[in-house]
Amino acid sequence: MAQKSAQRSAPARVKAEKRSEFSGMSRALVRRETISAYLFLLPSLIFFVGFVLVPMGICLVYSFLKMGIAGVDGFAGFDNYIRMFQDKVFIKGFWNTVLIVVVSVPAVTAFSLWVGSAIYPMRAGLRSFFRCVFYMPVVTGTVAVTVVWKWMFSPYNGLINQITGNIGFDWLGNSKTAIWCIILILFTTTIGQPIVLYVAALGNVDQSLVEAAQVDGATKLQVFWKIKWPQIMPTTLYVLVITTINSFQCFALIQLLTRGGPNYATSTIMYYIFDMAYNYQDFGYANAMGVVLAIVIAIFSALQFKLAKTDD
Amino acid sequence: MKKWNKAMALALAAGMSLSLVACGGGTGSTPSSNPSQSGGNEGGGSTASEVEIKLWTYPIGSWGGSESKLDDIIASFNAVHPEIKVTYETLDYQNGDNQVTSAITSGGTPDIIMEGPERLVSNWGAAGKMVDLSDLWTEEATADISATSEAVVNACKGTDGKYYEYPLCMTTHCMAINYELFEQAGALQYLDLENRTWTTDNFVKAMETIRDSGLAPVPGIVYCGGTGGDQGTRALVNNLYSGTYTNADHTEYTANSPENVKALTLLKSMVDSQALNANASFVAADELQQFANGTAAVTFCWNASNESQYASQVQFTPYAMAFPSDDGVPELCGGIWGFGIFDNGDQAKIDAAKTFIQFVCDDKKQGPESVRLTGFFPVRSSFGNVYEGTDQAERMAGFQSMMPYLGDYYNVIGNWTAQRNNWFNMLTQILINGEDPQTAADAFVEASNP
Repeated sequence: MAQKSAQRSAPARVKAEKRSEFSGMSRALVRRETISAYLFLLPSLIFFVGFVLVPMGICLVYSFLKMGIAGVDGFAGFDNYIRMFQDKVFIKGFWNTVLIVVVSVPAVTAFSLWVGSAIYPMRAGLRSFFRCVFYMPVVTGTVAVTVVWKWMFSPYNGLINQITGNIGFDWLGNSKTAIWCIILILFTTTIGQPIVLYVAALGNVDQSLVEAAQVDGATKLQVFWKIKWPQIMPTTLYVLVITTINSFQCFALIQLLTRGGPNYATSTIMYYIFDMAYNYQDFGYANAMGVVLAIVIAIFSALQFKLAKTDD
Repeated sequence: MKKWNKAMALALAAGMSLSLVACGGGTGSTPSSNPSQSGGNEGGGSTASEVEIKLWTYPIGSWGGSESKLDDIIASFNAVHPEIKVTYETLDYQNGDNQVTSAITSGGTPDIIMEGPERLVSNWGAAGKMVDLSDLWTEEATADISATSEAVVNACKGTDGKYYEYPLCMTTHCMAINYELFEQAGALQYLDLENRTWTTDNFVKAMETIRDSGLAPVPGIVYCGGTGGDQGTRALVNNLYSGTYTNADHTEYTANSPENVKALTLLKSMVDSQALNANASFVAADELQQFANGTAAVTFCWNASNESQYASQVQFTPYAMAFPSDDGVPELCGGIWGFGIFDNGDQAKIDAAKTFIQFVCDDKKQGPESVRLTGFFPVRSSFGNVYEGTDQAERMAGFQSMMPYLGDYYNVIGNWTAQRNNWFNMLTQILINGEDPQTAADAFVEASNP
């Protein structure tokens, strides 16, 4: 009880210390420091407002308009939103997007945690080597990566068909396999960053707790689950959120490899937004889909925060 | 505080997504960010009335691209008009349309753009973004171009009667065979090599002969992906049983006509018997590459420009052929390229742009040279054979011989962009997913009709 009382009073103590610290400063100095802080923030703030908040607002406004390449053609009300739920291609794209997220997010998180755990205890040189290997697809650039994958999946000269003796099979052109090819490529291009993050997070685990648990006879699994896992939870949450957003916004791979085909089998919401905006020049509808995508991403992120049971 | 943190995190996640959408998907590059080259009035000096105009061109022969000769043209132009400075940028067919769309929405369009009527007239012209070029269409020019093809004149005119394009060159899109492979397989007997034609029956026999010979991994590939190169598969389907793509007024698509459905059924049976392959992941460029590699014995996406482009890669003779037709009289899809001017509201720039276009297209000396650089044929009959006496004369004669097969230029029909997607989806449904040709063609027409 006394301990809890002490814990409760700790933040109050910190606040009191800060107050006394500031009370020693002149009002002018506080103002000057505040201004400096805002000035330091200003460049990012301008960027954030100009390239995030303002486009968000514009997107929202446009979503209620009939808008094509010739300009605004009237107020659409909720027509763009209603149309979306009657549009078979959008619905197909929505489920494809959900499939990509549902498969790739857990796979990327689990695999990168496993690889991170496996390479963390290695010697520094070997650890760096593996980090480089897994990080390579991240820095290579999507276009180069897709060119290589496209060649590997080529029906006639591709490596995969040459090895399997399946000459002629069109991996990216078959509606059953194309989406899985996209998920596979997305997986390989996404795991690099989480692996590096997990290796760093595992390095920050308090070793004294690990050693204490080992002394108490904890198994490796128990050490991981009871000691390491809670300490790397913030990293896991970050990986989950970023991977989810990346998966929802999977676009370049699809644009470069399948263009949403065959017959919309790999079309995602993000690709369909692009298709509507740039190929069909239906900007109002594209923006409405953008708003819905943003809401869906926010819901998924909220769920992840909730499930991860963290306040950070 | 905790709630505030959560709310901020969610807002940021949503913001990242929304801003990407509003900024155009994150990959739409702004045209001005990647100028490929520029040329201009370096020696001409600056004058008080100097005007600077910007030209965007798709890679059409040596107009733009890696082999661009545009600097030479601009230098010739500046010798006559030093007061007009011209800069240029090459677009590509993969992202060019997106760049133009971005430019239109952001107000950053160039002054001049070089492309075909399906974009200049039916899309940007119809949206009111282009300048009326009727004053360039003088009686003399109209008569000269009409003498080559009335279809060219009509194609450059919008439904409002205004001209949004001033044409420079044209061609007929055709197909090509691997000559040596056909010869070795004994399939040349099915071709009328002199007229570059073949009947539908002989086409089937030839492809079956190639298949049975085993000389090529695949006789031919019907590409069902992407949006470009669709003229090849359209022409293939339309010619097999003399179908049409649109009605005569260009107001409705007719791909579900009995002739076209019969052709689609035939293609499906050829795919089933492996006399052809169909690939949904292949775009026209992929199919061309397989032809150039020698993997496929024919390509359905050929013209003089493609022949030049793949000349260094092919180890055989690509022999241009018209598409097979039941009566042996093909109707080929035409390609028309010319100039349009974006209405940026600056009359001085518009006038300068018109001056440049007239110099490039109408000048007695420069006009033929401009056409030669495209690798196609002049729309002006008065230019005659622009390749005569050049080292390209023999090569171009083959393509020239197919110009009489030029069919209706229906590309000006509405919903052109949408129909491209629908067309490839229809081919996928029929040739790969096995859907009934009539059902799939009906769905195409319903989805595409303006």
